[in-house]
Amino acid sequence: MIWSIAWKNVWRSRKRSLIVISAVTLGTIAGVFTSGMMNGWVNQRIDAVINTEMSHIQVHHPDYLLNNELKYTIPNYQKVITTLNQNPAVKQISSRIKVTAMAATSRGNTALTLQGVNIEDEKAIRDIHEKIVKNGGTYLGTEMRNPIVISDKTAEQLRIKSYSVTSETIDSLKTLGVPENIANKTGPLKNKRFKTEKLYKKALEKQFTKKEINEYGHHLLNAAKHYRLRSKIVFTFNERNGGLVYQTYRVCGIFKTNNTMFDQMNAFVLHNDLAEVADFEDKEYHEIAILLNDNEKPEDVKTNLKKTFPGLSFLSWKDLSPETALMTDFMDVWYIIIIGIILMALAFGIINTMLMAILERTKELGMLMAIGMNRKRVFNMIMLETIFLTFVGALAGMVLGALSIFITGKTGLNFSSVSEGFEAVGWSAQVYPSIGFDFFILVTIMVVVTGILSSIIPARKALKMNPVEAIRTE
Amino acid sequence: MNVIETKNLEKVYDGKAVEVKAVNKVNLNIEEGEFTAIVGPSGSGKTTLLNLISGLDSPTAGSIHIDDTDLSTLNRKQLVDFRLKNIGFVFQSYNLIPVLTAGENVSFIMELQGRDKHETEARTREILENVGLADRYHSRPNQLSGGQQQRVAVARALASKPRFIIADEPTANLDTKSTENLLDIMEELNQKEKITFIFSTHDQRVVKKARRIILLEDGRIVKDEQKKQ
Ligand SMILES: Nc1ncnc2c1ncn2[C@@H]1O[C@H](COP(=O)(O)OP(=O)(O)O)[C@@H](O)[C@H]1O
Ligand SMILES: [Mg+2]
Repeated sequence: MIWSIAWKNVWRSRKRSLIVISAVTLGTIAGVFTSGMMNGWVNQRIDAVINTEMSHIQVHHPDYLLNNELKYTIPNYQKVITTLNQNPAVKQISSRIKVTAMAATSRGNTALTLQGVNIEDEKAIRDIHEKIVKNGGTYLGTEMRNPIVISDKTAEQLRIKSYSVTSETIDSLKTLGVPENIANKTGPLKNKRFKTEKLYKKALEKQFTKKEINEYGHHLLNAAKHYRLRSKIVFTFNERNGGLVYQTYRVCGIFKTNNTMFDQMNAFVLHNDLAEVADFEDKEYHEIAILLNDNEKPEDVKTNLKKTFPGLSFLSWKDLSPETALMTDFMDVWYIIIIGIILMALAFGIINTMLMAILERTKELGMLMAIGMNRKRVFNMIMLETIFLTFVGALAGMVLGALSIFITGKTGLNFSSVSEGFEAVGWSAQVYPSIGFDFFILVTIMVVVTGILSSIIPARKALKMNPVEAIRTE
Repeated sequence: MNVIETKNLEKVYDGKAVEVKAVNKVNLNIEEGEFTAIVGPSGSGKTTLLNLISGLDSPTAGSIHIDDTDLSTLNRKQLVDFRLKNIGFVFQSYNLIPVLTAGENVSFIMELQGRDKHETEARTREILENVGLADRYHSRPNQLSGGQQQRVAVARALASKPRFIIADEPTANLDTKSTENLLDIMEELNQKEKITFIFSTHDQRVVKKARRIILLEDGRIVKDEQKKQ
């Protein structure tokens, strides 16, 4: 019965309760949603680190890590591979030769790491082949001799990428849903070649209004983008024993990840095409990347492998990308901080409201105490009222917050206006908020605790009342 | 048999300038089944006396016995429990719980007492019928007139079958017709349920209905008059 009275009391001052409940709701939505966004973002980054960049664990010769000297290939390679293949925690492995090289075309040059990979292993362990851009050719494994996959960024640096408007461009714009009059406005740019994105953008800005660029800019960019596939790039690098060698590779594919730095630094060629010129034997590799079945266990597996092969270096993705690892650990703290701050602010609001409610009901509470409602029951009643107030709002907030995460988790949120800064360090500009079930358990616990804590003050206040005086008040 | 017995009861308030003896050397015996009015002008100490008798307030001196219980021996928690089990209250301003219906207001004390649900329900219907509000079981206090609310309050006080009912100026907010109606109901229930009623008033129409009239002046009993049947 105390429960039912408490519940009814919540709705006595409907407007006031609704205001407090809305505040709790909005606060909870904000907390849940920002946490979902952070979580989604961090998870995307972890996903990229594991599935595109590093895998779970990497094996190297310990000295290779110091200055990437080519002679430090993995000793006991065959034995390591056998052991890894027998380990049930291991899902997939891929071995690579890595060579630092200068890349040059007739128009530009850049430095990067050439990774000589075995195509099937590599496809199974990382998803570069899924990151080939539109009109960007295909992944390794074409008929082409000495094929290479480079990034969009590298293509730009080597001037293999350009922008030009052709009649095909205009047609493809139309199929992309760009209105005809807008597509036709590219007319004056026709048959001109722009060497960089920047120059093309400048030309676009002259031709189009700001609004048009905001709306159709990315289509205008993409449709006019051209890569000179099959271009030759000459690479200069040291072979195994220090001698300088040259090798020409032909561009077969262009990839783009969310990590500009990674893109800038890596290019992929077939293992044989690199091993031969760099003078590596069949079983000589610099790196073995290991993908595990389970995201949770890299540290355990790493420790075990280290015991088996004390002479080798094993690094988990957390060692290789410490800033991502830090973010993951920080997420747990973040949850508590953000929810804590919001709930604390709300607790003050709730306490205030309840104190007001009690003041208004002085006489009634006095009467209840007079006719025989003991202190424990009065205390419980006020406490329940406060908790209900907190709970309704928090529940509504969690449901709506979860819903907003569910919806934006499907569509994604785009931060492309600030994306260049993010992508330079590997954080995607397109965020897909997501949240785990355990988060809601945490929030629920924190809400309950807040509700109980903030109910104590008003409930105590009610107990301090003297029924004789309370009844005399008008 | 005495339900209430006070000896040299005193209550002194520390006023700003002077001490106020709100109740002064009151020796009072109330027997079972009485229908007694405490009368006196405003400020004569009626409310204070009733608060002392009902254990809401503690005396400065003297003693109060309810049946065999000396109220001064009870601690605060025991006093609340004692009131719950033994005393029914009717207040001047009705003081019903606004979020509960008439029926729920009447059941309230019985539920606090932990009585059986069916018994409570039956008793609530019976007593609401007795006060002429059987059809208002589901009405909220704000849907009832002042007179009706006070009848619910009487029903609430009575439903749990207390030893006695204290009513401090129960008719002060009521019009003539409601006042008469309420007193008739109180009198009837006093006879029918054999429950002792003590009420304060300064309304002559109410005084007339009482079977015993105790007149207070400056905290002293100056007249104690028993009407012949
Ligand atoms: N809490 C209090 N503090 C000081 N004086 C009080 C207090 N309550 C009542 N009094 C005084 O005690 C006297 C009796 O008051 P009360 O019992 O309310 O009389 P009545 O109910 O007959 O009007 C009055 O003079 C009143 O001013
Ligand atoms: Mg009074």
